[in-house]
Amino acid sequence: MRSAARAIWQFLNHRIVLRVIGLGIGGMFIYAGYDKIIHPDRFADIANDYQMLPLVFINAFGLAMPWMELTAGVALVLGFWRRAAGLVFAALTLAFIVAVAQAQIRGLDIVCGCFDVSGMSGGASWQHFALDIGLLLACILVWRRA
Amino acid sequence: MVNALNPLGIRWLPGPDGRVGIPRAYESRLPETTVDEAFRIYQSGEGLFVDSRDAEDFEKDHIPGAINIPQRRWAEVWPEWQSQLPRERLLLLYCYGGHCGLSTRQAKRLLPEGYEDFLIIDHGWDGWTKAGHPAERHPQGKAD
Repeated sequence: MRSAARAIWQFLNHRIVLRVIGLGIGGMFIYAGYDKIIHPDRFADIANDYQMLPLVFINAFGLAMPWMELTAGVALVLGFWRRAAGLVFAALTLAFIVAVAQAQIRGLDIVCGCFDVSGMSGGASWQHFALDIGLLLACILVWRRA
Repeated sequence: MVNALNPLGIRWLPGPDGRVGIPRAYESRLPETTVDEAFRIYQSGEGLFVDSRDAEDFEKDHIPGAINIPQRRWAEVWPEWQSQLPRERLLLLYCYGGHCGLSTRQAKRLLPEGYEDFLIIDHGWDGWTKAGHPAERHPQGKAD
């Protein structure tokens, strides 16, 4: 059992595996950031639905956050500032986890806004929460080991 | 820079009316009206009331004569409504209350579709019922 865990850990820490994980995370966040940059109004609406931020910060958050996703995503895909990008994504994913969990606990019926802001990505759910936990672990791996 | 050039770009802070997520180009094109003014229009029969709330809430109660275009299911329902919603008639959009935002979002979606003549009821269904204006109620959720 311990040897299996060690083998998995060694596999995840392999240079090429880390690169592939980084490419996957980076590409995903580029995709997620792009739609939000094109439609900042819709992303601001979605951010407002989560009822976490004071109204005065909603527009600024809606404008700034997608650029963080895009910039860190490009860095990870092109292979520079990888650890910094991993840290940014870990922090963002942690924020998403808190946002989705508090929305679920409060019973807010809202769209996730995770990858697109057209309303097609479905409601925020515990499924998103679980996916975000997995994503967080991958981001931490990139941050600590890349 | 991108935001400044984007036709859907927004301000960094809420607009003068306190609303968020409003593209600068739309700021003067999303007019609000009061519940009482909406009631005056209701009495005159000039406008078509559009309920942006979820279908199950609309089925329980709504402004008499209103149609339901649930904003949360916009992508699914709009193709059906696209050819039916009149462009030449004043539309009065409402949702749950003063800060639900669904009617404003619906107005943002209607503008690019060529709908310019609409008003957003500022305090929505909550304000309408508190003012004691007429309501069509189906407590069992059975709309006719």
